[in-house]
Amino acid sequence: MPDSTPLQTAAQQVVIDRIFDAPRELVFRAWTDPDQVAKWFGPEGFDIPRDSVVIELRVGGRFELRMVSSQMGFDSRLEYEILELVEPELLVLRHAPKPELGIPDATLTRVELHDENGKTRMVLTDGPYLESGHAATGWSQAFEKLAGLVSTGTSG
Amino acid sequence: MPTDQLSVTFAALADPTRRAILARLAEGEATVTELAEPFSVTLPAISRHLKVLEHAGLIVRNRAAQFRPSALRPEPLADATDWMETCRATWEARIDRLDAHLKEIQRGPKNA
Repeated sequence: MPDSTPLQTAAQQVVIDRIFDAPRELVFRAWTDPDQVAKWFGPEGFDIPRDSVVIELRVGGRFELRMVSSQMGFDSRLEYEILELVEPELLVLRHAPKPELGIPDATLTRVELHDENGKTRMVLTDGPYLESGHAATGWSQAFEKLAGLVSTGTSG
Repeated sequence: MPTDQLSVTFAALADPTRRAILARLAEGEATVTELAEPFSVTLPAISRHLKVLEHAGLIVRNRAAQFRPSALRPEPLADATDWMETCRATWEARIDRLDAHLKEIQRGPKNA
C-alpha cells in the first residue's frame, strides 16, 4: 500500500508526498514520455488520447494533453508550459488560468523526485486554487476552522 | 462551480472576527448584541462584518424577528471545502495510476 499524505488540503495548495518503489529515472520518464503520460495522467474514469499528448522536453516547451471522460461528458485540454526541468529530479509546469474550470489564477505544478535508496519520493505541489488578490492572508487559518464549522453547522 | 461565489466565500473568511462570528453561529442563531459581547469591537463594526457574511451567503438574518438574529448558512463553506477536495482527489487518483503504471513496467518485460 503506497504511502500518500495530503499535507495541506486546507490551504490553496494541493501537496502530495508519495514513495514509489521505482528508481527516479523511471519515475521521471513516466512523467515526460508521452506514451507513458497517456497511460496514467487521467484519473480513474478519464482517458488521455495518445495523439493529444504533446511534450516538448525543454524549458519553455509545451506539456499538453486532453482529458476526456465520456461517462461524465467531460473533455478538457490541459496546456502547461515547462518552467523548470532538471532530469531526473525536477519538473515544474505552469498552467494558464482556466476560469471555466474554476481556476481563476495561473497554477504551478511542481514535481520533485528524491532518491531514497533506489526508491523515489515524489513531492508534488499544485496550486494555488482560489487565490484572491485582496484576501491573500488568513487562508490557512480560515481553512483550519472550516471543517469544524461545516460539521457543527450542518448538524444544527 | 461558480468561482466568483467561492472567491466571495474565501474573502469573507479571511478575517478572524468573522470566523469567530461563524463559529459562534454554529452553536445557534444570535443577535448583533449577543455576537458583539465576546469581542472588543463596537456594534457598528459587528454589523459591518455581518453584512459581509450575509453578502457571501454564509449567514441569513431574520428580518421578521425582533433584533434580527443571524443564523449560519453552511452551504458555501461546504462548497469551498468540496472544491479543494476535488482538486486534491484528482491528483491522488492520478498518482494512484502512476504508481500502478510504474509497477507494471517494472514487472513486465523490460521494454518500457
